[in-house]
Amino acid sequence: MRLRIWTYLFKHGLMNISNNRLTHLISMGTITLTMLLFGSFMLVSYNLNNWIKQWGESISMSVYLTDDIAEKTQQQIEEVIQQFRGAELIGFISKRQAMLQLKEGLGDQAGLLDGLADNPLPSSFEILIKNAKENQIDPKKIKVSLEKMDGVEEVQYSEQWAERFKGLLDILKIVGFIVGAFLGIAVLFITTNTIKLAIYSRRDEIEISKLVGATDWFVKIPFLFEGVIQGIVSSGTAILVLFFVYYLFSVKSVYLFGLPVLDFVFLSQGHALMIIGFGVGLGLVGGFIAVGRFFKV
Amino acid sequence: MIQIFSVSKSFGGNIALKDISLRVRQGEFVFITGPSGAGKTTLLRLIFGTEKPTGGQILINKINLTRIKRLKLDMLRRKIGFVFQDFKLINTRTVFQNVALALEITGERSTIIRKKTHQALRALGLEKKENAYPLQLSGGEQQRVAIARAIINDPLILIADEPTGNLDPDITKEIMLLFRSINLRGTTLVIATHSRELLEDTGQRIVVLNQGRIVDEIVA
Repeated sequence: MRLRIWTYLFKHGLMNISNNRLTHLISMGTITLTMLLFGSFMLVSYNLNNWIKQWGESISMSVYLTDDIAEKTQQQIEEVIQQFRGAELIGFISKRQAMLQLKEGLGDQAGLLDGLADNPLPSSFEILIKNAKENQIDPKKIKVSLEKMDGVEEVQYSEQWAERFKGLLDILKIVGFIVGAFLGIAVLFITTNTIKLAIYSRRDEIEISKLVGATDWFVKIPFLFEGVIQGIVSSGTAILVLFFVYYLFSVKSVYLFGLPVLDFVFLSQGHALMIIGFGVGLGLVGGFIAVGRFFKV
Repeated sequence: MIQIFSVSKSFGGNIALKDISLRVRQGEFVFITGPSGAGKTTLLRLIFGTEKPTGGQILINKINLTRIKRLKLDMLRRKIGFVFQDFKLINTRTVFQNVALALEITGERSTIIRKKTHQALRALGLEKKENAYPLQLSGGEQQRVAIARAIINDPLILIADEPTGNLDPDITKEIMLLFRSINLRGTTLVIATHSRELLEDTGQRIVVLNQGRIVDEIVA
């Protein structure tokens, strides 16, 4: 097709939007809402996956020591810890520091601890194991070997509770996938039907263009341009609204087991482009399906 | 130019045309007449390719319409002007845009489109109505816009379905004069009408249809 026809078709697409402002506003509003729904779902599932990944990647381990531990034994334990591949010794927390941390954590309720004659809290080594899965480090083995040593009372690691939630998280992932698929189909259905209705109001224009000898593509392309423009504007608006809502919520952090689990992050650039791409795709597919219905002249 | 061989057309159980054979030579001016429901519009729609015959063959400029591909039919329609009974104008576009559409689809340069559209509208006395919308025009004016759009491409054939059906006698006369001048320039004309007045003293060939069959052919 010649360049001047493409220019004409593009201009025509823009002219159609301007001539049919109300219809376009209604369909863009609908697409924005459905894209907002889809984007919200993506944002939640993206963050959920992030958290699961983060929990699985880094394991924090506490090696609790017996109260009567000799200084030499403590040094030996420290040396053993440093020899473990991938394990990083974050620090040593003495009995006194542990008590201070607990008091700090209790805040106003710290007075409850005043009646204690002795400090019941053990001293501990804090270890961080990075990229445990990637480096094939089994925290269980480290736990067992450390617990065999003299002076070690107990070893606890963060993955233990994460493992307890693994089943639940797996279910959440499957549910997320199913909900996402249904949501995708619903968005496609709503959008194509909205565009169909918008095009239906202009069926005469399609019929007349065909009667004067316009090729199918000549008639289709302005509608497809309109679909693309609608898709870009609607998904762009949806992302902006989503970012605004995210900004309002991201001010607050929620903690679970002492970890900032709701350390909410916004969608990546790739995800934003994916939403815009999805919007454009919906506009194109919607336009394509809808226009085809009026081509029987 | 137009060759029709034993063409039949039925819609469901209703027979609209039965065993029609007709030949229209290049540059000829032919009227198709008959009472309402005789099959005039169906015959024109078959010639234009908006309907396919149930039986028989139709050749337009040696192209067989019964076996024509979509794209080729689009190209053929650019050489056939059709003036519809209900005008078929796009109400959301101006008179100028409606007429220019027939050239825009061919990918013609915008300067040529503007020039030819102005010329066509001037020829039909519509130069002052260029920016008006179809619904702001009278029936006669809408008819002239439809004719302007049909002739702007210098078609080989001009088909008109009841072109003066809703017009007063003065405008009817004016439009028939216009058709004659178009015919004099070499365009083949096929006009369907049930108006007896229109056929009087035309000196043209008249094909009479009744109940889907050709019952008579005369020269008035």
